Amino acid sequence: MTIPNGLVPHGDDLNLDELKRAAESILLVSGGPVTVDQLVEALGVAPQTVHALLWELQQDYAGRGIQIQVVAGGFHLCTRPELASYVQRFLRLDHREPLSQAALETLAIVAYRQPITRAEIEAVRGVRSDHIIERLLERHLIRDVGRKQALGRPILYATTEGFLRYFGLKDLADLPVLEGTDPRGALGGMTPTPHASPAEGSEAV
Amino acid sequence: MMPYIVKIPQFEGPLDELLTLAQQGSVDLREIPLARIAEAYLAGTEHHVDLEEATEVLWMLAAMIEMKSRLLVPKPDIPAEPLPLEEDPSDLEARLEEKLQEYRAFKEVASALRALEDYQHRIFARPPGDDPNAVFLEGVTLDDLFRAFQQVLERAREEVGEITAEEVKVAERMEAILTQLAQHPQGVVFADLFAAAATKLQVIVTFLALLELIKNRRVRAQQPQTFAPIRVALAAP
Repeated sequence: MTIPNGLVPHGDDLNLDELKRAAESILLVSGGPVTVDQLVEALGVAPQTVHALLWELQQDYAGRGIQIQVVAGGFHLCTRPELASYVQRFLRLDHREPLSQAALETLAIVAYRQPITRAEIEAVRGVRSDHIIERLLERHLIRDVGRKQALGRPILYATTEGFLRYFGLKDLADLPVLEGTDPRGALGGMTPTPHASPAEGSEAV
Repeated sequence: MMPYIVKIPQFEGPLDELLTLAQQGSVDLREIPLARIAEAYLAGTEHHVDLEEATEVLWMLAAMIEMKSRLLVPKPDIPAEPLPLEEDPSDLEARLEEKLQEYRAFKEVASALRALEDYQHRIFARPPGDDPNAVFLEGVTLDDLFRAFQQVLERAREEVGEITAEEVKVAERMEAILTQLAQHPQGVVFADLFAAAATKLQVIVTFLALLELIKNRRVRAQQPQTFAPIRVALAAP
Protein backbone atom coordinates (compact mmCIF):
# COMPACT_ATOMS: atom_id res chain seq x y z
CA MET A 1 0.00 0.00 0.00
CA THR A 2 1.21 3.47 -0.74
CA ILE A 3 0.06 6.77 0.57
CA PRO A 4 -2.62 8.19 -1.72
CA ASN A 5 -1.44 11.04 -3.94
CA GLY A 6 -1.98 14.51 -2.66
CA LEU A 7 -1.70 13.61 0.99
CA VAL A 8 2.00 14.34 1.17
CA PRO A 9 3.21 17.86 0.45
CA HIS A 10 5.05 18.25 -2.84
CA GLY A 11 8.81 18.32 -2.80
CA ASP A 12 8.78 16.50 0.53
CA ASP A 13 11.74 14.17 0.35
CA LEU A 14 11.28 12.84 3.87
CA ASN A 15 11.65 9.16 4.28
CA LEU A 16 8.01 8.20 4.72
CA ASP A 17 8.85 4.65 5.66
CA GLU A 18 11.03 5.89 8.49
CA LEU A 19 8.26 8.27 9.63
CA LYS A 20 5.80 5.40 9.67
CA ARG A 21 8.13 3.36 11.82
CA ALA A 22 8.70 6.41 14.05
CA ALA A 23 4.93 6.78 14.51
CA GLU A 24 4.74 3.11 15.41
CA SER A 25 7.46 3.47 18.04
CA ILE A 26 5.71 6.48 19.57
CA LEU A 27 2.42 4.56 19.83
CA LEU A 28 4.35 1.72 21.50
CA VAL A 29 5.95 3.79 24.24
CA SER A 30 2.86 5.86 24.98
CA GLY A 31 0.77 4.75 27.90
CA GLY A 32 -2.46 6.01 26.35
CA PRO A 33 -4.01 7.32 23.14
CA VAL A 34 -1.69 9.65 21.18
CA THR A 35 -3.36 12.62 19.50
CA VAL A 36 -2.73 13.80 15.96
CA ASP A 37 -1.29 17.02 17.39
CA GLN A 38 1.25 15.09 19.43
CA LEU A 39 2.32 13.11 16.36
CA VAL A 40 2.47 16.27 14.25
CA GLU A 41 4.85 17.75 16.79
CA ALA A 42 6.97 14.63 17.28
CA LEU A 43 7.30 13.76 13.60
CA GLY A 44 7.36 17.28 12.22
CA VAL A 45 4.86 16.57 9.45
CA ALA A 46 1.40 17.84 8.51
CA PRO A 47 -1.73 16.34 10.12
CA GLN A 48 -2.85 14.74 6.85
CA THR A 49 0.53 13.00 6.60
CA VAL A 50 0.05 11.68 10.14
CA HIS A 51 -3.35 10.27 9.15
CA ALA A 52 -1.86 8.69 6.05
CA LEU A 53 1.02 7.13 8.00
CA LEU A 54 -1.31 5.67 10.61
CA TRP A 55 -3.68 4.40 7.96
CA GLU A 56 -0.82 2.58 6.28
CA LEU A 57 0.43 1.28 9.61
CA GLN A 58 -3.02 -0.10 10.34
CA GLN A 59 -2.94 -1.90 6.95
CA ASP A 60 0.42 -3.42 7.95
CA TYR A 61 -1.18 -4.81 11.10
CA ALA A 62 -3.73 -6.89 9.18
CA GLY A 63 -3.16 -10.46 10.26
CA ARG A 64 -0.95 -9.41 13.19
CA GLY A 65 -1.55 -9.48 16.93
CA ILE A 66 -1.96 -5.76 17.39
CA GLN A 67 -4.07 -2.98 15.94
CA ILE A 68 -4.54 0.76 16.19
CA GLN A 69 -7.76 1.93 17.76
CA VAL A 70 -9.08 5.49 17.43
CA VAL A 71 -10.36 6.24 20.88
CA ALA A 72 -11.16 9.41 22.82
CA GLY A 73 -9.58 11.59 20.15
CA GLY A 74 -6.29 9.70 19.92
CA PHE A 75 -4.60 6.65 18.41
CA HIS A 76 -4.05 3.72 20.71
CA LEU A 77 -1.92 0.67 20.05
CA CYS A 78 -3.69 -2.36 21.49
CA THR A 79 -4.17 -6.09 21.13
CA ARG A 80 -6.82 -7.82 19.06
CA PRO A 81 -9.95 -9.16 20.77
CA GLU A 82 -9.60 -12.71 19.44
CA LEU A 83 -6.32 -13.04 21.37
CA ALA A 84 -7.84 -12.00 24.68
CA SER A 85 -7.53 -15.40 26.35
CA TYR A 86 -3.74 -15.56 25.81
CA VAL A 87 -3.16 -12.02 27.03
CA GLN A 88 -5.38 -12.60 30.04
CA ARG A 89 -3.51 -15.75 30.95
CA PHE A 90 -0.18 -13.94 30.66
CA LEU A 91 -1.34 -10.98 32.75
CA ARG A 92 -3.17 -13.35 35.10
CA LEU A 93 -6.27 -11.24 34.70
CA ASP A 94 -9.75 -12.51 35.28
CA HIS A 95 -12.55 -11.58 32.95
CA ARG A 96 -13.29 -7.95 33.48
CA GLU A 97 -16.47 -7.27 35.36
CA PRO A 98 -19.10 -5.84 32.99
CA LEU A 99 -21.44 -3.02 34.02
CA SER A 100 -24.86 -4.04 35.29
CA GLN A 101 -27.78 -3.72 32.90
CA ALA A 102 -29.23 -0.88 34.98
CA ALA A 103 -25.89 0.96 34.98
CA LEU A 104 -25.58 0.52 31.22
CA GLU A 105 -29.09 1.89 30.61
CA THR A 106 -28.47 4.86 32.86
CA LEU A 107 -25.18 5.52 31.08
CA ALA A 108 -26.94 5.35 27.71
CA ILE A 109 -29.47 7.95 28.85
CA VAL A 110 -26.69 10.26 30.09
CA ALA A 111 -24.68 9.75 26.91
CA TYR A 112 -27.50 10.74 24.55
CA ARG A 113 -29.18 13.38 26.68
CA GLN A 114 -26.25 15.12 28.31
CA PRO A 115 -26.14 17.34 30.23
CA ILE A 116 -28.96 15.77 32.23
CA THR A 117 -30.22 15.91 35.80
CA ARG A 118 -30.95 12.96 38.04
CA ALA A 119 -34.68 13.67 37.91
CA GLU A 120 -34.59 13.63 34.10
CA ILE A 121 -32.77 10.28 34.12
CA GLU A 122 -35.33 8.89 36.54
CA ALA A 123 -38.19 10.14 34.40
CA VAL A 124 -36.94 7.96 31.55
CA ARG A 125 -36.08 4.93 33.65
CA GLY A 126 -39.15 5.16 35.87
CA VAL A 127 -37.13 4.20 38.96
CA ARG A 128 -34.87 5.91 41.44
CA SER A 129 -31.35 6.03 40.08
CA ASP A 130 -29.30 7.85 42.72
CA HIS A 131 -27.31 4.79 43.69
CA ILE A 132 -26.44 3.92 40.10
CA ILE A 133 -25.45 7.52 39.37
CA GLU A 134 -23.19 7.39 42.42
CA ARG A 135 -21.48 4.24 41.12
CA LEU A 136 -21.01 5.74 37.64
CA LEU A 137 -19.43 8.83 39.22
CA GLU A 138 -17.07 6.63 41.25
CA ARG A 139 -15.98 4.82 38.10
CA HIS A 140 -15.39 8.18 36.36
CA LEU A 141 -17.75 7.25 33.53
CA ILE A 142 -19.87 10.33 34.18
CA ARG A 143 -19.11 13.62 35.91
CA ASP A 144 -20.81 16.63 37.37
CA VAL A 145 -20.72 19.48 34.83
CA GLY A 146 -22.59 22.21 36.67
CA ARG A 147 -26.11 23.01 37.68
CA LYS A 148 -29.30 23.46 35.75
CA GLN A 149 -30.89 26.89 35.99
CA ALA A 150 -34.12 25.45 37.29
CA LEU A 151 -35.95 25.02 40.57
CA GLY A 152 -33.52 23.62 43.14
CA ARG A 153 -30.58 24.09 40.78
CA PRO A 154 -30.12 20.34 40.25
CA ILE A 155 -26.70 18.93 39.28
CA LEU A 156 -26.15 18.21 35.59
CA TYR A 157 -24.27 15.07 34.54
CA ALA A 158 -22.30 14.33 31.38
CA THR A 159 -20.06 11.51 30.19
CA THR A 160 -16.27 11.64 30.60
CA GLU A 161 -13.30 10.86 28.39
CA GLY A 162 -13.07 7.64 30.41
CA PHE A 163 -16.53 6.77 29.07
CA LEU A 164 -15.22 7.07 25.49
CA ARG A 165 -12.23 4.90 26.34
CA TYR A 166 -14.38 2.34 28.16
CA PHE A 167 -16.50 1.79 25.05
CA GLY A 168 -13.73 2.42 22.51
CA LEU A 169 -15.49 5.46 21.04
CA LYS A 170 -13.72 8.18 19.06
CA ASP A 171 -16.11 10.87 20.28
CA LEU A 172 -19.80 11.26 21.18
CA ALA A 173 -20.82 11.31 17.52
CA ASP A 174 -19.42 7.78 17.38
CA LEU A 175 -22.21 6.48 19.65
CA PRO A 176 -24.43 3.79 18.16
CA VAL A 177 -27.42 5.19 16.31
CA LEU A 178 -30.81 4.52 17.78
CA GLU A 179 -33.70 2.94 15.90
CA GLY A 180 -36.98 4.84 15.87
CA THR A 181 -37.08 7.83 18.18
CA ASP A 182 -33.93 9.85 18.16
CA PRO A 183 -32.78 10.37 21.74
CA ARG A 184 -30.13 12.87 20.75
CA GLY A 185 -32.52 15.77 20.99
CA ALA A 186 -30.40 17.56 23.54
CA LEU A 187 -27.09 17.09 21.79
CA GLY A 188 -27.47 20.38 20.00
CA GLY A 189 -27.87 19.30 16.42
CA MET A 190 -24.86 17.01 16.47
CA THR A 191 -25.09 14.68 13.54
CA PRO A 192 -24.37 11.06 14.37
CA THR A 193 -21.97 9.01 12.28
CA PRO A 194 -23.93 5.96 11.19
CA HIS A 195 -22.35 2.57 11.76
CA ALA A 196 -23.57 -0.64 10.27
CA SER A 197 -22.94 -2.51 13.49
CA PRO A 198 -21.93 -1.17 16.87
CA ALA A 199 -19.05 -3.64 17.25
CA GLU A 200 -17.52 -2.50 13.99
CA GLY A 201 -17.78 1.10 15.03
CA SER A 202 -14.99 0.68 17.55
CA GLU A 203 -12.80 -1.53 15.47
CA ALA A 204 -10.02 0.54 14.09
CA VAL A 205 -8.76 3.49 12.10
CA MET B 1 -36.21 -10.83 28.44
CA MET B 2 -39.42 -12.85 28.44
CA PRO B 3 -42.52 -10.66 28.65
CA TYR B 4 -44.64 -11.16 31.73
CA ILE B 5 -47.72 -13.22 30.82
CA VAL B 6 -51.04 -12.25 32.37
CA LYS B 7 -53.62 -14.98 33.00
CA ILE B 8 -56.98 -13.71 34.10
CA PRO B 9 -60.41 -14.71 32.81
CA GLN B 10 -60.73 -11.44 30.86
CA PHE B 11 -57.31 -11.51 29.25
CA GLU B 12 -54.49 -13.89 28.60
CA GLY B 13 -51.23 -12.73 27.04
CA PRO B 14 -48.20 -10.49 27.54
CA LEU B 15 -48.68 -7.54 29.87
CA ASP B 16 -47.31 -5.04 27.36
CA GLU B 17 -49.90 -6.21 24.87
CA LEU B 18 -52.61 -5.51 27.43
CA LEU B 19 -51.20 -2.00 27.88
CA THR B 20 -51.17 -1.41 24.13
CA LEU B 21 -54.77 -2.65 23.78
CA ALA B 22 -55.87 -0.47 26.67
CA GLN B 23 -54.19 2.54 25.09
CA GLN B 24 -55.96 1.81 21.82
CA GLY B 25 -59.24 1.49 23.65
CA SER B 26 -59.65 -2.11 22.44
CA VAL B 27 -59.81 -3.34 26.02
CA ASP B 28 -62.02 -1.72 28.65
CA LEU B 29 -59.78 -1.31 31.68
CA ARG B 30 -62.88 -1.10 33.91
CA GLU B 31 -63.36 -4.80 33.21
CA ILE B 32 -59.76 -5.70 34.06
CA PRO B 33 -58.95 -6.44 37.70
CA LEU B 34 -55.51 -4.80 37.82
CA ALA B 35 -55.19 -5.59 41.53
CA ARG B 36 -55.40 -9.31 40.74
CA ILE B 37 -52.69 -9.01 38.09
CA ALA B 38 -50.48 -7.18 40.57
CA GLU B 39 -51.16 -9.75 43.30
CA ALA B 40 -50.40 -12.65 40.98
CA TYR B 41 -47.16 -11.01 39.88
CA LEU B 42 -46.10 -10.25 43.45
CA ALA B 43 -46.90 -13.82 44.50
CA GLY B 44 -44.58 -15.02 41.76
CA THR B 45 -41.76 -12.75 42.91
CA GLU B 46 -41.62 -14.52 46.29
CA HIS B 47 -39.61 -17.27 44.64
CA HIS B 48 -37.62 -15.24 42.19
CA VAL B 49 -37.27 -11.56 41.37
CA ASP B 50 -35.87 -10.29 38.12
CA LEU B 51 -35.35 -6.59 38.79
CA GLU B 52 -35.44 -5.75 35.10
CA GLU B 53 -38.77 -7.44 34.68
CA ALA B 54 -40.14 -6.06 37.94
CA THR B 55 -39.30 -2.52 36.84
CA GLU B 56 -41.11 -2.93 33.57
CA VAL B 57 -44.11 -4.77 35.04
CA LEU B 58 -44.58 -2.20 37.82
CA TRP B 59 -44.22 0.62 35.35
CA MET B 60 -46.83 -0.82 33.00
CA LEU B 61 -49.22 -1.61 35.84
CA ALA B 62 -48.85 1.92 37.20
CA ALA B 63 -49.58 3.34 33.76
CA MET B 64 -52.74 1.24 33.50
CA ILE B 65 -53.84 2.11 37.03
CA GLU B 66 -53.54 5.77 36.15
CA MET B 67 -55.58 5.26 32.98
CA LYS B 68 -58.17 3.23 34.84
CA SER B 69 -58.51 5.77 37.64
CA ARG B 70 -59.30 8.42 35.04
CA LEU B 71 -62.00 6.18 33.60
CA LEU B 72 -63.54 5.49 37.01
CA VAL B 73 -63.59 8.96 38.48
CA PRO B 74 -66.86 10.61 37.43
CA LYS B 75 -66.33 13.64 35.29
CA PRO B 76 -68.18 16.80 36.35
CA ASP B 77 -70.78 17.64 33.75
CA ILE B 78 -69.80 21.25 33.57
CA PRO B 79 -66.30 21.99 34.72
CA ALA B 80 -66.37 25.03 36.95
CA GLU B 81 -63.40 26.36 35.09
CA PRO B 82 -61.18 24.74 32.51
CA LEU B 83 -58.22 23.31 34.35
CA PRO B 84 -55.12 24.28 32.47
CA LEU B 85 -53.08 21.35 33.77
CA GLU B 86 -55.74 18.77 33.03
CA GLU B 87 -54.60 16.62 30.15
CA ASP B 88 -56.73 15.14 27.50
CA PRO B 89 -56.79 11.36 28.10
CA SER B 90 -55.57 10.84 24.54
CA ASP B 91 -52.65 13.18 25.29
CA LEU B 92 -51.85 11.14 28.33
CA GLU B 93 -51.99 7.89 26.40
CA ALA B 94 -49.80 9.34 23.71
CA ARG B 95 -47.39 10.48 26.35
CA LEU B 96 -47.33 7.06 28.02
CA GLU B 97 -46.74 5.39 24.71
CA GLU B 98 -43.98 7.85 23.93
CA LYS B 99 -42.36 7.22 27.30
CA LEU B 100 -42.47 3.48 26.82
CA GLN B 101 -40.97 3.80 23.36
CA GLU B 102 -38.28 6.09 24.64
CA TYR B 103 -37.43 3.65 27.40
CA ARG B 104 -37.25 0.77 24.91
CA ALA B 105 -35.02 2.85 22.63
CA PHE B 106 -32.56 3.33 25.47
CA LYS B 107 -32.67 -0.37 26.27
CA GLU B 108 -31.71 -1.05 22.67
CA VAL B 109 -28.84 1.40 22.79
CA ALA B 110 -27.74 -0.17 26.05
CA SER B 111 -27.37 -3.51 24.31
CA ALA B 112 -25.29 -1.86 21.57
CA LEU B 113 -23.09 -0.37 24.29
CA ARG B 114 -22.88 -3.85 25.84
CA ALA B 115 -21.37 -5.13 22.58
CA LEU B 116 -18.81 -2.30 22.61
CA GLU B 117 -17.98 -3.00 26.25
CA ASP B 118 -17.48 -6.66 25.46
CA TYR B 119 -15.12 -5.79 22.60
CA GLN B 120 -13.12 -3.36 24.74
CA HIS B 121 -12.88 -5.92 27.52
CA ARG B 122 -11.12 -8.26 25.12
CA ILE B 123 -8.43 -5.86 23.98
CA PHE B 124 -5.43 -4.70 25.98
CA ALA B 125 -2.98 -1.86 25.78
CA ARG B 126 0.11 -0.81 27.64
CA PRO B 127 -1.12 0.58 30.94
CA PRO B 128 -0.56 4.30 31.41
CA GLY B 129 2.68 4.71 33.34
CA ASP B 130 5.25 7.32 34.22
CA ASP B 131 2.64 9.77 35.38
CA PRO B 132 4.81 12.32 37.19
CA ASN B 133 2.27 12.57 39.98
CA ALA B 134 2.16 8.84 40.60
CA VAL B 135 5.84 7.77 40.48
CA PHE B 136 5.86 6.87 44.13
CA LEU B 137 3.90 3.71 43.47
CA GLU B 138 5.29 2.67 40.11
CA GLY B 139 3.45 -0.34 38.78
CA VAL B 140 2.27 -1.22 42.27
CA THR B 141 -1.42 -1.36 42.99
CA LEU B 142 -2.86 -1.44 46.47
CA ASP B 143 -3.74 -5.06 45.76
CA ASP B 144 -0.09 -5.87 45.04
CA LEU B 145 0.97 -4.29 48.32
CA PHE B 146 -1.73 -6.16 50.13
CA ARG B 147 -0.73 -9.47 48.59
CA ALA B 148 2.87 -8.91 49.64
CA PHE B 149 1.65 -7.96 53.08
CA GLN B 150 -0.39 -11.14 53.35
CA GLN B 151 2.64 -13.23 52.43
CA VAL B 152 4.63 -11.64 55.23
CA LEU B 153 1.70 -12.13 57.60
CA GLU B 154 1.58 -15.82 56.66
CA ARG B 155 5.22 -16.06 57.64
CA ALA B 156 4.48 -14.37 60.95
CA ARG B 157 1.66 -16.81 61.58
CA GLU B 158 4.01 -19.76 61.35
CA GLU B 159 5.90 -18.55 64.40
CA VAL B 160 4.07 -20.14 67.29
CA GLY B 161 5.06 -18.74 70.59
CA GLU B 162 3.94 -17.15 73.75
CA ILE B 163 1.96 -13.99 73.41
CA THR B 164 3.63 -11.23 75.29
CA ALA B 165 2.44 -7.71 75.68
CA GLU B 166 4.54 -5.42 73.56
CA GLU B 167 4.44 -1.95 72.26
CA VAL B 168 5.21 -1.17 68.65
CA LYS B 169 4.83 2.37 67.43
CA VAL B 170 4.20 3.35 63.81
CA ALA B 171 6.48 6.39 64.21
CA GLU B 172 9.32 4.13 65.43
CA ARG B 173 8.87 1.73 62.56
CA MET B 174 8.89 4.66 60.11
CA GLU B 175 12.27 5.74 61.50
CA ALA B 176 13.54 2.15 61.35
CA ILE B 177 12.48 1.77 57.70
CA LEU B 178 14.16 5.07 56.77
CA THR B 179 17.38 3.97 58.52
CA GLN B 180 17.31 0.61 56.79
CA LEU B 181 16.69 2.19 53.38
CA ALA B 182 19.45 4.76 53.91
CA GLN B 183 21.88 1.85 54.08
CA HIS B 184 20.60 0.47 50.77
CA PRO B 185 20.54 3.20 48.15
CA GLN B 186 19.35 0.69 45.56
CA GLY B 187 16.36 -0.16 47.73
CA VAL B 188 15.32 -3.40 49.35
CA VAL B 189 12.79 -6.08 48.49
CA PHE B 190 9.46 -5.55 50.22
CA ALA B 191 9.71 -8.68 52.37
CA ASP B 192 13.12 -7.62 53.71
CA LEU B 193 11.49 -4.76 55.57
CA PHE B 194 10.00 -7.32 57.89
CA ALA B 195 12.24 -9.17 60.30
CA ALA B 196 12.04 -12.92 59.81
CA ALA B 197 10.82 -13.44 63.37
CA ALA B 198 8.43 -10.51 63.41
CA THR B 199 5.17 -10.97 65.25
CA LYS B 200 1.87 -10.26 63.58
CA LEU B 201 1.59 -6.94 65.38
CA GLN B 202 5.08 -5.92 64.26
CA VAL B 203 4.23 -6.86 60.68
CA ILE B 204 1.03 -4.83 60.75
CA VAL B 205 2.67 -1.80 62.29
CA THR B 206 5.56 -1.97 59.82
CA PHE B 207 3.09 -2.15 56.94
CA LEU B 208 1.22 0.87 58.28
CA ALA B 209 4.53 2.70 58.65
CA LEU B 210 5.40 1.89 55.04
CA LEU B 211 2.03 3.13 53.76
CA GLU B 212 2.52 6.32 55.73
CA LEU B 213 5.98 6.84 54.23
CA ILE B 214 4.65 6.29 50.69
CA LYS B 215 1.85 8.73 51.36
CA ASN B 216 4.34 11.30 52.68
CA ARG B 217 6.48 10.71 49.58
CA ARG B 218 9.47 9.76 51.71
CA VAL B 219 9.85 6.36 50.04
CA ARG B 220 8.82 4.90 46.72
CA ALA B 221 7.60 1.42 45.91
CA GLN B 222 8.31 0.03 42.46
CA GLN B 223 7.22 -3.12 40.70
CA PRO B 224 8.96 -3.57 37.34
CA GLN B 225 6.44 -6.15 36.15
CA THR B 226 3.16 -7.56 37.34
CA PHE B 227 3.84 -10.07 40.13
CA ALA B 228 7.55 -9.21 40.26
CA PRO B 229 8.86 -8.51 43.77
CA ILE B 230 8.08 -4.99 44.95
CA ARG B 231 11.18 -2.91 45.67
CA VAL B 232 11.11 -0.14 48.22
CA ALA B 233 13.64 2.69 48.19
CA LEU B 234 14.13 6.16 49.60
CA ALA B 235 12.52 8.83 47.48
CA ALA B 236 14.99 11.17 45.82
CA PRO B 237 15.28 14.24 48.05
